[in-house]
Amino acid sequence: MFSPDRYEFFCPVKTNSGSRALEHLPFELDTMNATKPFVITSQKDARRGLVDVIIDAFKDSGVTIGIFDGAPAAPGMKLIKELFTMYRDGGYDSLIAVGGGAVVDTAKILNIAVSGAPEDIERYAGSDLITKPLKPLVLVPTLSGTGYESSRYACIDTLSFSSCFLMPHLVVIDPRMIVFEDVETTAAASLVTLTHAVEVYTGPEKNPLSDSYAYAAIRFVMENLVSVIRDPRDGKGRLALVNAHNAAGCAFSNSTPGMAHRLGKAVGDACQLSWGLCMGILLPHILERQTSEDGYHIPGLLLPLAGFDVYAETPEHMKVQKAIGILYDFQRDLFEASRGAIVRSLKDAEVPEEMLRDIARKAAGRSSTGFDADVSLMVLEQAWKGK
Amino acid sequence: MNLPGYYEFCCRVKIIAGHDALEKIPDALAYLRARTPMIVSDKGVAGAGLIDIVTSAIKDGVTIGAVADDVPPDSDLQVVHRLARLYREKRCDSLIAVGGGSVMDTAKGVNILISENADDLMKFSGANALKRALKPLIAIPTTAGTGSEVTLVAVVKDHERHLKMAFVSYFLLPDVSVLDSRMTLSLPPAITAATGMDALAHAVEAYTCLAKNPLSDAHALAAINLIGENLVRVTRDPGDKNGRLAMANAATLAGIAFSNSMVGMVHTLGHSAGSVCGVPHGVCMAILLPYGLEYNMHKNGHLTAELLFPLGGAQVYAATPEGERADKVIALVRRINEDLHEASGGRHPRFFREVVDREGKQMVPREKLPEIAKTALSDGSLFYNPEDLDYDDFLMVMETSWEGEPLERRKIKKG
Repeated sequence: MFSPDRYEFFCPVKTNSGSRALEHLPFELDTMNATKPFVITSQKDARRGLVDVIIDAFKDSGVTIGIFDGAPAAPGMKLIKELFTMYRDGGYDSLIAVGGGAVVDTAKILNIAVSGAPEDIERYAGSDLITKPLKPLVLVPTLSGTGYESSRYACIDTLSFSSCFLMPHLVVIDPRMIVFEDVETTAAASLVTLTHAVEVYTGPEKNPLSDSYAYAAIRFVMENLVSVIRDPRDGKGRLALVNAHNAAGCAFSNSTPGMAHRLGKAVGDACQLSWGLCMGILLPHILERQTSEDGYHIPGLLLPLAGFDVYAETPEHMKVQKAIGILYDFQRDLFEASRGAIVRSLKDAEVPEEMLRDIARKAAGRSSTGFDADVSLMVLEQAWKGK
Repeated sequence: MNLPGYYEFCCRVKIIAGHDALEKIPDALAYLRARTPMIVSDKGVAGAGLIDIVTSAIKDGVTIGAVADDVPPDSDLQVVHRLARLYREKRCDSLIAVGGGSVMDTAKGVNILISENADDLMKFSGANALKRALKPLIAIPTTAGTGSEVTLVAVVKDHERHLKMAFVSYFLLPDVSVLDSRMTLSLPPAITAATGMDALAHAVEAYTCLAKNPLSDAHALAAINLIGENLVRVTRDPGDKNGRLAMANAATLAGIAFSNSMVGMVHTLGHSAGSVCGVPHGVCMAILLPYGLEYNMHKNGHLTAELLFPLGGAQVYAATPEGERADKVIALVRRINEDLHEASGGRHPRFFREVVDREGKQMVPREKLPEIAKTALSDGSLFYNPEDLDYDDFLMVMETSWEGEPLERRKIKKG
């Protein structure tokens, strides 16, 4: 097994997952010395009754909670300032984010403000500028996430933040909250998850601790995504997927984002497509490219993708080919299970071919790791055509 | 991947690993806003020159406020109070614990006193009595086995009042654990062997007992794989730096796995043999591990079978028919014990009758086995064991593991 010469790993997240997990919340807050949490969620999740489950969990606990159920899809600084005032005037001492995506970004960024002052927010935009722990932040994820919820990342307006202090202290995965979402949302977060976990597991910063989180995430996505897309009533599968989102967020926070992540985002931003869909299309093409580059660990990927038996019976020299083949098969299975909604090529995603050169140049420009515009273009062209 | 009805998982310890990881301690302390650490250690560690290695690695980056390298193996409340006084006198602002379980426990006890500015440690005993972060604590393990660098428990004895205080809190987790190959390079083969088997027992029980979860499973699999590939090798060749680092990683992974999933009967009996006869914990784990797997086979044989993949490697796994994999794992664990016995010049015991103290005296006389079995009945770790054991069952396991005979499967009562 690969054991690197040196590495660092940090994951402050505690995970509680399973039946009635939310009922432990009052106790968990007490261990963090918090007594008055401020809940942030979206109108959509409030409307479908998810907040009621949270309220029930606090019944008889003696804990007073505040609820803001109006987090919009694109929160701005104005909202953060309003929430800051509500938090301060209400005497709250901790945050609970219920949902995914923008709700969690809002809570993370609000946490910067309430742990100091609203002026801090712009000062801390960037990488690793926050220098001390923030207020306790609990995440109660749903299936409507983006795959970034447990991670060290947050963004608002044009500002983006990266700090381990932004990661939730506690993630409570409760089956009652993991209700069905539409195919696109479900697939997008899980494909972001798969891409992140695979790039951690195969990338130059691979280490046994981030591998453990990545391994669990990859297994869960491979075992459950197709079946959940085919049959959204698969509750156990949905729960497993949210467990995967969480584990991958932890792994991804300990690694420099890889090429599939960066290119996928670039394509998604350029063409108003979901990042997950683009990353999912690009991933096997990029891995194929990386097999011939130094510093990547592609053969071992077969293990989390396919399990012990397939790994053990595949000869060493066939492992890369087999792993990539499994990812292409996975794209096909998703395409079929979603009745064509989850496409397998950038062409089918209606990315104009003439935009590829521009996307490649932009993605390479943003990159801090070594991949240039020519390589990016080559991969994009392959992914445009598809397998 | 198994997804249980409910589980919790948490390891907030930052891991810094490498052949030159110690050099990163000043930065790690600065990040925690500390710059005057007190080093806590014991004479064995200091005598092996390890404190010198630590101090020369960090002295340019921090001011070492105090060095207390005389924590006794059987540390207690008095030691904790004495070190807390020293810490205050020298105006330290953080702790670096270099050593094994007793040093870690002592440092955690000191940390409670100094952080809470308290005189009475008892007030904080039990589960979750601590409500806020303590002073920065950096753990540097000097064996690859116990995993205490990533556990949230501390036990402090009060010899005057004949008490044992246990503290359980996420705030007791070290802030940082530094795994540096230099810390275990001089470990003698017998200790390398026993501590490595301790880590294996943690990981195997985490994977095969009742409180397993997907994240503890993933950590356990990685630990078992690293141990399978490296433990016998480093016991034979103690200077193998990469092997040493791999084992340090394995012990930490195993520590994370078991502290998030609990353990079973191997630990139940191991604790008893330790407390009744003073057998080192790792030795108990090494001897008992195959018996625990045999005893539980009818309940968790399918999980034991899976472990052939990480322990024996992909080829052995593929070459062994499914129905024979669990037995093969047990045979492999026994084989590792044999190899360690040989690699340590016979010092690593394979059975309880082979365990001797420094003077060569047998540590577990046969007539002590009933007492060990009796003591095991009151150990909480049995709760997570797949199959129940009563006094007769414990005695049977102790007798066979004393002799070095395999368990007779037909004698196991199937509940």
